[in-house]
Amino acid sequence: MATISPLLSAEGLTKRYGDTLALDALDLAIAPGEVYCLLGANGAGKSTTINCFLDFVRPDGGVARIGGQVVAQHPLETKKRLAYIPETVMLYGNLSGLENLEYFATLATGARPATEELVAHLITAGLRDEQIHQRVAGYSKGMRQKVGIAIALAKRADVLLLDEPTSGLDPKASNEFHRLLGLLRARGAAVLMATHDLFRAKESGTRIGIMKAGRKVAELRADEIGHADLEQLYLTHMHD
Amino acid sequence: MIREIARKEFRDLTRDGRFRLSAGIVGSLLLVASLAGFTAWREQAAQRDAAQDSMQALWFGQPAKNPHSAAHYGLWAFKPQLPLSFVDRGVDPYVGTASWLEAHRQNEFRFRPAMDATAAQRFGDWTAAAVLQHLVPLLIIVLAFGAFAGERERGTLRQLASLGVPTRTLMTGKALGVAAALALLLVPVAVVGSALVLSAMGADGLLRLGAMALVYLAYFAVALGATLVVSATARTARAALVVLLALWAVNGIVAPRLAADLARMAHPTPTARGFAAEVQQALANGIDGHSPAGARAKALEDSLRKAYNVATVEALPFNFNGFAMQRGEEHANEVFDHYFDRLWSRYAAQDRSQLVGAVASPLIAVRFLSMGIAGTDVAQHNAFASSAEAYRRVLNKRMNDDIAEHAKAGEAFSYQADESLWRSLEPFRYEAPGLGSVWRTHALSAVVLGLWLVGIVVLTRRSTALAVH
Repeated sequence: MATISPLLSAEGLTKRYGDTLALDALDLAIAPGEVYCLLGANGAGKSTTINCFLDFVRPDGGVARIGGQVVAQHPLETKKRLAYIPETVMLYGNLSGLENLEYFATLATGARPATEELVAHLITAGLRDEQIHQRVAGYSKGMRQKVGIAIALAKRADVLLLDEPTSGLDPKASNEFHRLLGLLRARGAAVLMATHDLFRAKESGTRIGIMKAGRKVAELRADEIGHADLEQLYLTHMHD
Repeated sequence: MIREIARKEFRDLTRDGRFRLSAGIVGSLLLVASLAGFTAWREQAAQRDAAQDSMQALWFGQPAKNPHSAAHYGLWAFKPQLPLSFVDRGVDPYVGTASWLEAHRQNEFRFRPAMDATAAQRFGDWTAAAVLQHLVPLLIIVLAFGAFAGERERGTLRQLASLGVPTRTLMTGKALGVAAALALLLVPVAVVGSALVLSAMGADGLLRLGAMALVYLAYFAVALGATLVVSATARTARAALVVLLALWAVNGIVAPRLAADLARMAHPTPTARGFAAEVQQALANGIDGHSPAGARAKALEDSLRKAYNVATVEALPFNFNGFAMQRGEEHANEVFDHYFDRLWSRYAAQDRSQLVGAVASPLIAVRFLSMGIAGTDVAQHNAFASSAEAYRRVLNKRMNDDIAEHAKAGEAFSYQADESLWRSLEPFRYEAPGLGSVWRTHALSAVVLGLWLVGIVVLTRRSTALAVH
C-alpha cells in the first residue's frame, strides 16, 4: 500500500467532547481502489471519523486529508471530489429522482450536466426507468441510496464516505448496494465505510479496522481472515 | 450555480399551494387598495378643485361691503394632494387638509377623517402602504422562514454541505429565488401603479413612484435578508418562524408604538385646548404676558399723535382704525409665529427622536420616506399650512390697508369697498415641495434604511449555515 499515495488519510486525528475522547489519535490511510471498513460499537468514533473528512466536525488534534489537502483548511475544495452517503440519503421529496440528481449534480460540479447523462447514472445505480421520474417522497431507503450513488457518479467522486449505508436495507438491496460499491472501487475510488455488517465488511472490504472508544484496536486485510474468525476477533475486542 | 439554486427555490415556492394562496391574497389586497385609493384620490381632487373654484367665485362675488367684514368672511384653502397620496395617506387623515383663512386667527386644519373614524378603522383602513409595510414582510417570512431551517430539519442541508457549495452561493441563490416569486406578485401591481400615476401626474409622478419603489425594495430586501439569516441560524423551521413573527411584531407594531410614545414624552406637545388657551392669553396680554391689548392700543395712539404732531387720531392723514387693525394683525401674527413655530418644532423633534426606534424597526424610517415621497408627511403639511397662512396675512393686510387709505375718520366700519378690491387679491396658489426637499427632510431616514440594508447584507454574507460543526 505504501507505494500508492493514499487518497484519504488521518494522522493522529483527535476529537474531544467534554471529557470523553471521541477520537484518540487515529491514523488511517486509504488508497484508490480500496474499500476500508470501520467496525465498532455505537459511539466508537466511526461517524466522527467520517464527519472529520467532511469538515462537519473540526478535530481538536491531528489532521484529516483528502488527496493530500488538509480538510479543515480546504473545506470546499476537498468536498469537490468526495461523495457522502449516510444511512438515509436525504433528498427533496417534492422533486423526482432525476430532478434531485440534476440539482445536486449541478451544485456539486457548477454546471448542469446533460439529462441523458444523469438518466444513465441513475440506471447504472440501479433505478428503473419509471422510478426515475417519480417523486422522491415515495422512494424506499434503497432507492434513495441509489440516487446517492448516482450523485457520486455524476460528481465523478473518487472518495466515498459511507456512514452505515446499508443499515435497514433488506438483504437484496444491501447486496445491490455492494455491487455498486464494487463498481466504484473498480473505477479507482477510495472508500471509507462505517458499518455494523461484519459479513458485508468481509465480502466487500479490502481492509477492515476495528474501533473502540475512539481508538483503532485492530486492522487487517479482508482476504486474510474468514467470516467466523472476523466475528470472533470483533467480539474479543468488544469484550475486554 | 446560483441560477440553479434560485430556479429550484422559485419552483418549490410556486408549486406550493400555500404560496399561491398567500401571494394571491396579498396581491389582491394591494391591487384593490391601490385602485380604491386612486379612485378616492381622483374624486377628492375633483371635489377639491370644484370647492376651491366656487370658494374663489364666492370671494370675487362679494357685494360691496366693508373690507374688514370681507376679511371675516374669509375663504378656505384646500391642500392639493399628490396622486401618490393614494399609496400612502400619511398624516393627512389626522391633521386635516383644509383651513379657513379669516381675520385675526390662524386656524387649525379641519376635515380630519380620523376624527369621524372609530378606533377599529385604524386597522381596517388598508392603504397600499399598509399592505407594503406590514403584509409583504409577513409574506416574505412565510415564504422564506424554512429556506435553511427546513432543509436542516429534513437533512438535505447536510447533503448540500457535503457537496462543497459555499454558504454564500446558497444564500444568494435562495434570496433570488424568493425574490423572483415575490416579483410575480409585485411587478403587476407596480405596472398598474405606474399607469395610474402616469395618467394623473406625468413624468414627475414616475420619478416619485421610482423613489418610492426603491424605498420599498430596500425594505423588502431587509426583510428577506433577515428572514434568511434567522432561518440559517435556527435549528428548526418552527423556531425560525416563531423568532421571525416576533421580529415582525416588533418591527411593525411594538417599536413604532413605543418610539412614538417615547418621542411624545421626550418632547411633549400641549393639548389642543391648552394650546388654544396659551395663544389666547398671548393675544390678550402679549407674548411676554405684560402688555395687555388696551395698553398696546394706547401706546400706538400716543406714538402716532406724537409722530404726526396731531391732537387726536382723527386728524391723522389715514384712517386710524384701519392702521390699528393691521397693527393688531401683526401682533397676532407674531404670537402665532411664536406658538406655531414652537409646536411644529416640537413635532419635528418628535419625528427625529422617533427615528431612534429605527434601530429596532426599519419600518419607522420607511414610513417617513414613504409619506415624504407621497407628499403626506408633516413637513409638507406644514409647508402648505405656512403657505396658506402667508396668504391669509396678505389678505388681511390688503383689507386693513384699504380701510386705512380710503376710509374717512370714524367711518372705518361703515366704509364700503367693491369687487375691484376682492379681485385685486390673486387667488391662492400652492406649489408642493419637490422631491429634493423631501430628500433633505428625510435624509436621515434614508441613511438609516441604507444602514439596515448594508447590515443585513453583511449578516447574510457572514452566515455559516452550511458549517455543520
